Amino acid sequence: MLAYSLPSDISPSTFVNTASLVRIVALGLISAAAISSRLFAVVNFESIIHEFDPWFNYRATRVLASKGFYEFWNWFDPTAWYPLGRVVGGTIYPGLMATSGVIYNILHALNLPVDIRNICVLLAPGFSAFTAWATYMFTKEMKDESAGLLAAAFIGIVPGYISRSVAGSYDNEAIAIFLLMFTFYAWIKALKTGSALFGTIAALFYFYMVAAWGGYAFITNMIPLHAFVLLLMGRYTNRLYVAYCSWYAIGTLSSMQVPFVGFQPVRTSEHMAALGIFGLLQIVAFAQLIRSHVTSKQFQDLLFVSVISAAVLGMAAMVLLTYKGWIAPWTGRFYSLWDTGYAKKYIPIIASVSEHQPTAWPSFFMDLHMLTFLFPFGVLVLFRTLRDEHVFVIIYAVMGTYFAGVMVRLMLTLTPCVCVASAVGLSQLIDTFMDPREPDVGEEEEKEDGSSTTATPSKKAAKKEKNAAPVTGVGAIDDIVSTLSIAGGLEKDKSAKAKTGIFGLDTRMVVLFNTAAMLLFFVLHCTWVTSNAYSSPSVVLASSNPDGSQHIIDDFREAYYWLRMNTKEDAVVMSWWDYGYQIAGMADRVTLVDNNTWNNTHIATVGKAMSSPEEVAYPILRKHDVDYVLVIFGGLIGYSGDDINKFLWMVRIAQGVWPDEIQEPNYFTQQGEYRVDDQASKAMKDSLMYKMSYYRFAELFGGGQVVDRVRQQYLPKQGPTLDYLDEAFTSENWIVRIFQVKKEDLLGRDLKSANGFAQGKKRKRSKPPVKRRVLA
Amino acid sequence: MLLPWLTLLWIPLYVLAAKSSVHQQLVELAAQNNGVIKLNDKTYDLLTSPDRDWSVSVHFTALDKRRRCNPCREFDPSWNAVAKAWSTVPRSERDHHFFATLDFDDGHTVFQKLGLTSAPVVHVYPAAEGPRRPVNGKLAPYKYDFTHGFDAEPLALELSKHTPVAIPYRAPIDWAKWGTFAVILLSGLITLRFISPVLQSRWTWAIGTIITSLVMQSGYMFTRIRGMPYTAGNGQWIAPGFQSQYGQETQVVAVIYGLLAVSFLMLTVIAPLQKSAQRQRAQIYLWTAVNLIIFSVLVSLFRTKNRGYPFKLFL
Repeated sequence: MLAYSLPSDISPSTFVNTASLVRIVALGLISAAAISSRLFAVVNFESIIHEFDPWFNYRATRVLASKGFYEFWNWFDPTAWYPLGRVVGGTIYPGLMATSGVIYNILHALNLPVDIRNICVLLAPGFSAFTAWATYMFTKEMKDESAGLLAAAFIGIVPGYISRSVAGSYDNEAIAIFLLMFTFYAWIKALKTGSALFGTIAALFYFYMVAAWGGYAFITNMIPLHAFVLLLMGRYTNRLYVAYCSWYAIGTLSSMQVPFVGFQPVRTSEHMAALGIFGLLQIVAFAQLIRSHVTSKQFQDLLFVSVISAAVLGMAAMVLLTYKGWIAPWTGRFYSLWDTGYAKKYIPIIASVSEHQPTAWPSFFMDLHMLTFLFPFGVLVLFRTLRDEHVFVIIYAVMGTYFAGVMVRLMLTLTPCVCVASAVGLSQLIDTFMDPREPDVGEEEEKEDGSSTTATPSKKAAKKEKNAAPVTGVGAIDDIVSTLSIAGGLEKDKSAKAKTGIFGLDTRMVVLFNTAAMLLFFVLHCTWVTSNAYSSPSVVLASSNPDGSQHIIDDFREAYYWLRMNTKEDAVVMSWWDYGYQIAGMADRVTLVDNNTWNNTHIATVGKAMSSPEEVAYPILRKHDVDYVLVIFGGLIGYSGDDINKFLWMVRIAQGVWPDEIQEPNYFTQQGEYRVDDQASKAMKDSLMYKMSYYRFAELFGGGQVVDRVRQQYLPKQGPTLDYLDEAFTSENWIVRIFQVKKEDLLGRDLKSANGFAQGKKRKRSKPPVKRRVLA
Repeated sequence: MLLPWLTLLWIPLYVLAAKSSVHQQLVELAAQNNGVIKLNDKTYDLLTSPDRDWSVSVHFTALDKRRRCNPCREFDPSWNAVAKAWSTVPRSERDHHFFATLDFDDGHTVFQKLGLTSAPVVHVYPAAEGPRRPVNGKLAPYKYDFTHGFDAEPLALELSKHTPVAIPYRAPIDWAKWGTFAVILLSGLITLRFISPVLQSRWTWAIGTIITSLVMQSGYMFTRIRGMPYTAGNGQWIAPGFQSQYGQETQVVAVIYGLLAVSFLMLTVIAPLQKSAQRQRAQIYLWTAVNLIIFSVLVSLFRTKNRGYPFKLFL
């Protein structure tokens, strides 16, 4: 009995061909949607590199494209971390730059003179199409093609992934998620087929991933964890052995070729799980071999005990090696995922980054929308069948949600898993309600007959081997074909389902209509979030005029070009580390600190200079040859991401190194408030940051109320004065202010008294004459 | 005639004796109360007298219930633990540094004099005389900074910089925690035979996995790491702002997600098992309605968090 009729005069081959054509078209459309929804930033603004880190990647890629790979590999950048410099080749993951370099060279070999900037801007959208495809392949292994298509569509437009891959966000994550998904796909494929080829492919993509993103440690621990859980579940197979060993051996050796990684895979705790499981698998495989050759029960027991003791011994050895310092313990970043209070206590620089904050629920809903609740349902569906590969997604779900809850930026690693599980769940729902068969007791016997006669030997074998998944990818087509010719070859679960099912057409319509409406809502939500929240370059800001038209605030580029055009080529610019890469990339000037936060002391030095009074800061500035100091000030137009709001982190980081000189409580008022108005604390008012931010700010208001629009506070009408610095440049909306550091006074006075003399003030008699200080 | 003059000669000795007796008195006071001197207006002045040759750390607090100072009550045990650790130091070192507590109700005037408007506050007064007088001559009290929270460990570490020897504070072993852990482990091992079918059942793990994912997605880690309260003091349970939430929001959102997931589960897995067409129809309509309504509730909840969100369902 059918709920609705189906055409019966179509040959199965026509059906198979049409279905595969539809799939290809659907994948093509999904790719198009994925790419185009990431182009809001280019359409709204222009083809420009976004944010902070991408500026460094872009700069490095330019070096690669113009000077070639070897020059890039040996690049020592003297302009960063002045006066230390930075060995770029050995301190980056070169995968991203190499990828764009290869694309650039291919295009130029084809006589397509594409600018390297456009390649960098459009790399992330391009790779998102690959990600959709890799997710499709991965989900196909979990359920079938239709689930795969759903998963591809989800990952194509879900904001959780778009947030890191809009056009212009030229960062490691842009290509890393594709590599992550493809490595996982190859791993699942290797596990299912026991093929060393797929294990090797997994290893090669793992190598690419290691070369591209520090998040590779996620793969390094996910695959061993999966193998370990399978062992615990008693699901050891030779396929697992082949897949894991080929992946681990080739993957680890190749990952050690990346200079930044080097010997870490054998020396750090993050990689020890993979090594330990590798060893455990050898022992288990050996024990399995022996067991199959002996019959004695006692010997098998002995073997069991020795396997366990060998595992325990191995574990103890690793702990001992860690204790002795042969294996480096967890790095701070990694450790702070488990002990969430750790970073705030010991490494404030990690805690200070906004993307390292924990995630509140609105962020989850914003990034995943309806996938938040489809996802647990999908996991439950996976539990019903619980094949080996399903265990992988389940582990991924648990780890992914925990990590995403601890750190906002790890939402990115959770998103693929959510898409896969949701797609499996939703496709199960659609399968149930699309199936035209109604439960009918009379037809059951006939079906039973049909299935028993048409069941092929290969299927029987598949049933026998409990954990084996259907190797051929045409399972879904079988389903559809079988529904056409009802008595056709039915799958095991289908024949069981024939007893159950949905009655009537209206019920089907209701549920399917509801599902379609939800999917539509999902698309609307994703489009809105992408265009409103995730497509701002943050280098260029947008606000709307009273009439609704867009007003572009371009202060950053204005200031950086001013620096580029008006200062000496080797001028040293001091700023907080957030702006280091942008200054290097756009202004091409020497910076003290930048976003590669490897040297805490150097950053603390800048923090100290910013939070100290002028007299204390000046020797620091002179010792570091600083010519210009750059601050970001949002008080005039209400740009809340400015330096005064970040100031407490500067104080905290400086306090970590000089606890005697800088103390955070001094920057608060007596009542413990953070204020900048006339009640501000003395340390606050004296600090270089405060003075530079509000220097001549009061003059703008012409004697009226001086208001800071970010902090909504009224400032004193008499603004701070500067003795050791000169204002050099202030951008249109006052967002960027650049100050020039004065040279020492020619007569050997200190600059404060020199200034006082110039203004005609009398020097206080009580003070002894100032002696010339020798600067080291 | 000469006698008064003679007595005048004695004055320095008297002062000395008075001072040493003050010191003796303080030592006794400290010994009485586990190393913490309970202060009032007068003893505060004695303790921080300008000719002190000892250093002292004073803890200003307001422990009375009426003062409603929760941080004070939270910090008090840590303070006492550190002071107690100090009292185990050998006498020769111990008596050069004191721990003292001044409650607001015992010393309004001191609070007023120092301009303290909040509690708890910890000041460390260096020795003003004698060999332990700071070399740079700075006698202003050091103010302890509570950025590391109210725990005893950072406090001991920080105060050790001002005491003659480091405070031998060691975190007490949490016997209760280890005890429960051991009991659970033991009972698990003993009843392994009975609970192993539960542990081996996939549905146990399924429930665990799903609850984990629901709770984590509802921002549980946010409330834990930030130490967010369950609700605001005025009974409001939705935290204002997109990047913030209260404990109760976690529960509500987790239940909403759970209900929505259950509605899908009912539609996909349970409804097809129904043999009667009418009952199945009722079930399907019911759960579709539940799905729609709960989803509307979720969207409207999200709208209250994100004011600019343009979409809405029925609510």
